[in-house]
Amino acid sequence: MKENAASTVVFILLLFLNTNLLNGQSLPGKPEIFKCRSPEKETFTCWWKPGADGRLPTNYTLTYRKEGETFTHECPDYKTGGPNSCYFNKKHTSIWTIYIITVNATNQMGSSSSDPRYVDVTYIVEPDPPVNLTLELKQPEDSKPYLWIKWFPPTLVDVRSGWLTLQYEIRLKPEKAAEWETHFAGQQTQFKILSLYPGQKYLVQVHCKPDHGFWSEWSPESSIQIPNDFSMKDATVWIFVAVLSAVICLIMVWAVALKGYSMVTCILPPVPGPKIKGFDTHLLEKGKSEELLSALGCQDFPPTSDCEDLLVEFLEVDDSEGQQLMPAHSKEHPGRGVRPTHLDPDSDSGRGSCDSPSLLSEKCDEPRANPSKFHTPEGLEKAEKPETNVTQPQDPQSTSVEGKIPSFHASGSQSSTWPLLQSPSLPYPRSSYHSVADVCKLGLGTPGAASALLDETDTHALKPSQTIETGGEGKAAEQRESESFRSKTDQDAARLLPQDKTPSISARPLEYVEIHKVSKDGALALLPKPNENSGWAEKTSTPETSKEYSKVSRVMDNNILVLVQDRRAQDLAPFEEPAKEAPPSLPQNPAEVDLASFPAAPSNCRLQLGGLDYLHPTGFMHSFQ
Amino acid sequence: MDSKGSSQKGSLLLLLLLVSNLLLCKSVASLPICPSGAVNCQVSLRDLFDRAVILSHYIHNLSSEMFNEFDKRYAQGRGFITKAINSCHTSSLSTPEDKEQAQQVHHEVLLSVILGVLRSWNDPLYHLVTEVRGMQEAPDAILSRAIEIEEQNKRLLEGMEKIVGQVHPGVKENEVYSVWSGLPSLQMADEDTRLFAFYNLLHCLRRDSHKIDSYLKLLKCRIIYDSNC
Repeated sequence: MKENAASTVVFILLLFLNTNLLNGQSLPGKPEIFKCRSPEKETFTCWWKPGADGRLPTNYTLTYRKEGETFTHECPDYKTGGPNSCYFNKKHTSIWTIYIITVNATNQMGSSSSDPRYVDVTYIVEPDPPVNLTLELKQPEDSKPYLWIKWFPPTLVDVRSGWLTLQYEIRLKPEKAAEWETHFAGQQTQFKILSLYPGQKYLVQVHCKPDHGFWSEWSPESSIQIPNDFSMKDATVWIFVAVLSAVICLIMVWAVALKGYSMVTCILPPVPGPKIKGFDTHLLEKGKSEELLSALGCQDFPPTSDCEDLLVEFLEVDDSEGQQLMPAHSKEHPGRGVRPTHLDPDSDSGRGSCDSPSLLSEKCDEPRANPSKFHTPEGLEKAEKPETNVTQPQDPQSTSVEGKIPSFHASGSQSSTWPLLQSPSLPYPRSSYHSVADVCKLGLGTPGAASALLDETDTHALKPSQTIETGGEGKAAEQRESESFRSKTDQDAARLLPQDKTPSISARPLEYVEIHKVSKDGALALLPKPNENSGWAEKTSTPETSKEYSKVSRVMDNNILVLVQDRRAQDLAPFEEPAKEAPPSLPQNPAEVDLASFPAAPSNCRLQLGGLDYLHPTGFMHSFQ
Repeated sequence: MDSKGSSQKGSLLLLLLLVSNLLLCKSVASLPICPSGAVNCQVSLRDLFDRAVILSHYIHNLSSEMFNEFDKRYAQGRGFITKAINSCHTSSLSTPEDKEQAQQVHHEVLLSVILGVLRSWNDPLYHLVTEVRGMQEAPDAILSRAIEIEEQNKRLLEGMEKIVGQVHPGVKENEVYSVWSGLPSLQMADEDTRLFAFYNLLHCLRRDSHKIDSYLKLLKCRIIYDSNC
């Protein structure tokens, strides 16, 4: 029974608690006294932090007990110190006495107390900041100017009776500075600052500390503007300036001494001596004239645009079977007498006829047939150039030729753009050609004989008709010219050769003409190249008579270039190469180059022109004769 | 022989004086004072009070540091403060408990109170030094300060007696002081009891040195500066 009663009581209590808990209401949380402070060692205030209020209105009370007394008092003043505080006035404050203070939180559910806090007013003194901070600039006549800072102790603190002894500290800084400059002022209530920057606005603060207490907060800032004429009149400044300038002078003298020469050269650069661009004088000393002179010329071969002037084109007019192509740049490689391989005296050989087992047929069908018949000019590395749009047959041929005659390859890339082959320019064997078709074939098949070697600025060597593509590099006109030259020469060769064949030979001798200059406005300056073969009388005369076709007089409708001879070589009659006319006709007209005829050439044979086109100046033939 | 002996004694005395002077020079208060033993030393009252205040201030600083050091090192979590209520041996002396009371007391009374407190601490300070020295791992911070406080307390006492002699010449004062009986506690075998005894002693010393300092500063401003410090 008793047990039942006890258990029921416990059960009811628990129920009661649980119901309250379920409602969310509970005892108030434990408050905590977190700060007690005395501003003048005569009164003090304590503040507490309430705990959780348990969702019920909570009442806080502060009780205390003093050392040496037995009874408990309650806080005399809850208001003066603010919320959750207790203020002990003078009457209730005893120094050198421990107070045992407790805060009680009470609500509907119950109450809870804070931990007792043992407070001795002696050791919790923290005054208010000093007041009435004033700043004054003083500039006495017989002394240095200074800033005079004055303040007063906080109002509550009794310093006059000596109950508290305060020590002060000031700090100041220019308005924009980051760090404060702190000065200890002792027990005096004034301070003088001597080192100030003119023109700056200064901020000043002061705080104090009782003899055995804590530092107060900093007072509010006071500011003052230092005028610009706040001169220091301090000899030390001038001494400092003098020392600094002496140091700078020493540094400069030292720098000049160490690096005087380089500085002088920087300021007064030496007069440069004459120098040719790309000309290495050391090579001259060593005697490597080839390398030396190679430096003078263009980097590419055929030369690039800036080397146009230097480029020398050769027009080979082959009127004998022994005729050889002379491809090289005379200016670039004066020392290089690249002699093409001597052609087979066989009139058919090397002439590139489709019918003959010569270059032409090989070119047409088997590109590799007559590698020996060709002599590659120095720049025979056209195949190496990826940009050249050379037909397939042409490429293998060029490579094969290159392989066979490596000696003709120009060094470096200078001649790399030279088209392959010039078929020994003798597309027209001395034997007569009986048909235009043959001639055409021959002409097509012999890129060398009737092709004009054009001065290409880059790799666009002469292309076979079918694969003529404008290089897209701005040389389309020239290419077409070359093509036309080619075609023209082919045809002319076909036509000319028979004419040229003097009683001894039926083939027209081909003559090489140098294209001296290709200018931008389309002027072709041509020079006849002296023929290597001695069998020609013209050879000896050719050096004397420098025939130069300096410009294209007009372009005829079917893209015929009419070349005008410029020199005084009178015997050189202007020649004309009409397009597709009857071979025997040789009008004494300005040379014409059919620009468009080449594409019309028979398509069964492709010109292997590795890029060499030769112009057949029919007029030359006449002149030489 | 006698002259030699007397000269020897004289030289010894000179040596003693020199040593005592050197010891005096070490102290914080470097004001020119009359070496102890000199008879006709006239120092002005203002200087006496200035020196007394300096000493009292210094002693309280040392006491405060010593108490904090001990509290941090030995008394953490032991709740000694709860037991150190009303346990100072000088509480039998009636002393003013706030500014008003102190200002109402006549300066002679106040001087005698100061003297009584100072005298009450002669004995405890002596034993404190002895017992701290005997503590295992005697902390040097506490020991050095205890030695210094004992020394300076004697000096302050002498200075106060001079002041009294100047302020109230010819008055035969009753040497009232509290007797300290806490030595057995300092020598207890039980560590907790012993530590509490030390704690209590240091706590009371801190408080009493503060009292003396406050009273002296009040007196100085009142007597020398006419309450206008």
